Amino acid sequence: MKHTFRKLLAMIPALFAFLLVVAQETIELKLPESNKVVIKLMFRGGSITDPAGKDGLANLTAGIMMDGGTKDKTAKQIQELIYPMAVNYEVSVDKEVTVFTFQVHVDFLDEFYPVLRDLMLHPSFSDEDYRKVKSNYEVYVDQVIRASSDEEYSKMALEDQLFRGTNYQHMVGGNTPGLAAITLDDVKEYHKNYFTRKNLTIGIGGKYPAAFLAKLKADMNSLPATGPELPVAGKANTPDGLNVEIISKDNALGSAVFTGFPLPITRSNDDFAALMVANSYLGEHRKSYGKLYDKIRSTRSMNYGDYSYIEWYENGGGNMLPVPGVPRSSNYFALWIRPVQVAEGLKKQYAELKDIETGHAQFALRLAVREIDEMIEKGISKEDFELTRQFLRSYNKLYIQTPEKQLGFLMDSKFYGRTNYIQEMDKLLAKLTIEDVNKTIRKYWQTKNMFITIVTDDSEAEPLKAALLQNKPSPMSYSNLVKAGLPKDVVDEDAKIANYKLNVKAVNIVNSKDTFKPAPKGF
Amino acid sequence: MKLRSIAFLCMLFIGLHEVVGQASAKKILPFGIQQKKFTNGLNVVTVPFNSPGLAAFFIVVRAGSRDEVEAGKTGFAHFFEHMMFRGTDKYPKEEYNLILKSIGASANANTSFDRTVYHMTGNALMLEKMFEIEGDRFQNLHYTDHDFKTEAGAVKGEYTKNSASPFQQLFEKVLSTSFEKHTYAHTTMGFFKDVVDMPNQYDYSLTFFDRFYRPEYTTIVVVGDVKAADVNKYADKYFGKWKRGSYAPTIESEPEQTTTRFAHVQNPAFPPYISLNYKGPAFSDKSVDLPALNILTTLLFDQSGDLYDKLVVKEQKARSLSGGPIMARDALLIQIGSSLVKAADLQYIKDEVTGALENAKTVPVDAKKLADTKSNIKYSFAMRLDSPDQIANSLAQFIWLSGNPESLNSYYALFDKVTPEDIMAVAKKYFNSNSLTIGTIGPGEAGNVK
Repeated sequence: MKHTFRKLLAMIPALFAFLLVVAQETIELKLPESNKVVIKLMFRGGSITDPAGKDGLANLTAGIMMDGGTKDKTAKQIQELIYPMAVNYEVSVDKEVTVFTFQVHVDFLDEFYPVLRDLMLHPSFSDEDYRKVKSNYEVYVDQVIRASSDEEYSKMALEDQLFRGTNYQHMVGGNTPGLAAITLDDVKEYHKNYFTRKNLTIGIGGKYPAAFLAKLKADMNSLPATGPELPVAGKANTPDGLNVEIISKDNALGSAVFTGFPLPITRSNDDFAALMVANSYLGEHRKSYGKLYDKIRSTRSMNYGDYSYIEWYENGGGNMLPVPGVPRSSNYFALWIRPVQVAEGLKKQYAELKDIETGHAQFALRLAVREIDEMIEKGISKEDFELTRQFLRSYNKLYIQTPEKQLGFLMDSKFYGRTNYIQEMDKLLAKLTIEDVNKTIRKYWQTKNMFITIVTDDSEAEPLKAALLQNKPSPMSYSNLVKAGLPKDVVDEDAKIANYKLNVKAVNIVNSKDTFKPAPKGF
Repeated sequence: MKLRSIAFLCMLFIGLHEVVGQASAKKILPFGIQQKKFTNGLNVVTVPFNSPGLAAFFIVVRAGSRDEVEAGKTGFAHFFEHMMFRGTDKYPKEEYNLILKSIGASANANTSFDRTVYHMTGNALMLEKMFEIEGDRFQNLHYTDHDFKTEAGAVKGEYTKNSASPFQQLFEKVLSTSFEKHTYAHTTMGFFKDVVDMPNQYDYSLTFFDRFYRPEYTTIVVVGDVKAADVNKYADKYFGKWKRGSYAPTIESEPEQTTTRFAHVQNPAFPPYISLNYKGPAFSDKSVDLPALNILTTLLFDQSGDLYDKLVVKEQKARSLSGGPIMARDALLIQIGSSLVKAADLQYIKDEVTGALENAKTVPVDAKKLADTKSNIKYSFAMRLDSPDQIANSLAQFIWLSGNPESLNSYYALFDKVTPEDIMAVAKKYFNSNSLTIGTIGPGEAGNVK
């Protein structure tokens, strides 16, 4: 008996190790009819785990892992091996999570697997891979973000304002001094510290044998057990009044606008369903039936579209539907006003506008704020509530059309303390009332204190600053062609919008080359 | 952020070209394509697919910026796509939007050189409603002069947001430099002066609708949890009375290019970039030229290739390298693009790429590499067949290219036939300096590349 007991005691470490393997958090999505396997390895920790002064380290580390080689294969050897298999793998780094996604056809699952394992466990971190990837990321934060899409630029610059002084401030890609300070040793250290068992959730979807999953779990179990504590995510600042940053650049044809204010809730909170209805009514992403789109684009032809957000939306310029892999615990409300015309352009295009001082940014901003104010004051109608809810209950299901998306949303659900976000939201939407929605609008929305970022042409910056600071009237400057046919209700509403008071307290002009300065040390 | 941002931007510039093929005699699309041609010329395509409750409903109109043959009317096909959302007498814009919202679908449209595609993905039980509202606007579109002028502002807004990208600026210049007569000389957005003048073109817009929004230009594609009998029944009910038109545009053919041309965007605050643009073949599902070019450019410029390893990994003079033919109805371009670290290396990268292309004219490709490339192409395609939306997109491409979705299968079958000799032949036929336009982004007033 004693002997047996001793034997049992001796087995405890082994049992414990086994339990650890079993306990590895795993999310499965079995799709026996699929022709592929999707594997997602989600690690807690993203750009908020970048050490002070080394902004961009998480992103760089993950990037080198995916672009580089392993302990026994160079990047080229890997590419040659997987070339006939058409394997697709990539990483998405965000503020709080890093997600590695591998998609492989079932025909090659076993052949490809050692590459996946070694990319995660034994990346080579060669000097060659390091220099290549780092140089590409440096040019992104130095040049590409400032000179490719003013919309994406204004969105990043808004986050810089909202989260200034916190670990959420800097772009996931980092900034110029941050990347310059990073060494190859920093990269190796980051890999060891943060890509740990403790931080990992395994996701697997498609057609895979149970033995494959067991092997994957056992191998991932050889990652370091623990690392440094994860930092608390920085919260968005609340400004005093409307704080505007105008980013001035050469040769911009328009003014690209993003605004935002802190939101204390996320998908974790049941109020989110009510806010989802309110937001969809105001400005559903890339849909023509939001109020903002209808009034700014369809009725007044000021730009290409206008939307509102109650959480981070990845690559809004490219994605029509939200993507998984970017869950966040720190949240804010945002408005996206796509580029509107600047005075310089309008003057050239229409003789009748030769005397205008500013373009359409101030009017668009007033219109958008006024719409939110009306929703806070009056709520939405029963009819609009029912229709918007009906839309969302169908539309949310389109988020998960592919196995990769389905698995990704399940994994994000876990981040928010939910099991299946899409299903749970549907249930919450089903029992929602109009009163819930209007109460939630009043509880979470306001327009007195917001950050605003406007990327615009250098000719527009000073006049726009003066107009905003002085709350100057901003009558909408239509071309005569459009003006002639405006319905009376639009003309009347325009007059109200033109004088609508905005609580502007500060306006600063920042030269494009001076954006994205790192947070002071210590954060 | 998703990594490989620069590579991604370069890909956008290169344009999305499908590189697909098959290694067996079996059709590449593992689902049956059911077609019904109506007497008015409308083609209706159904592909049942296991996606419970979900259907993708696409309408492909074979009219794009290629069909903009009159001076001063560039960008009109795209503008018209916008106008299609302005409503009818039965369903004015507001009403149309309310119905769309009630369907809960993801719906939009886009325009390119050869076509305009309207798409809706959503609840399969709402299929008849989708047919009803689309049938109505395709036959009974009605907008006022004021609506027309107003929508023109949104198009200008779209041009404005796109214009920030140096790649977009270069693409405009490359097209207008490469083409003198053919309508591929302008982008789908159109020339800015024409975009600004759009509000004055109301009468022309009615002509445009009358010409192209006709059943003989149109194919309906439905993929998902549906039956062909239902799809055809609804098509008959809502599109059956649509009248055939009579217009066919005369598109000038492009004279043969006789010397290298140059297009440059000066931008000192952006990574230097070079694109080599050779005149390519028109789409065909009978000639092996396009598949051979796809294989050759994949072999030469993929990350697994020697040139990528040399320029991007070892020497690190290039940040990215990629290339391939743009698939189009008429001869368009084969584009090879590379983002650089230093503008001083623009000539070097050009010489390295053209050196590899010259080499391909006389040195046969390795048999294993050829087989691997065919495999890569086949599996890349198979991996994309995840959802009704993706399948409908793949079919739509071949519909606008040839008018027949089966050309997807016949085109892919051609890959099996490609030999090393075919690859040398296309290299000789297409990669010549007299059919080349060199596009550059750099800090100087000119690209300074010979």
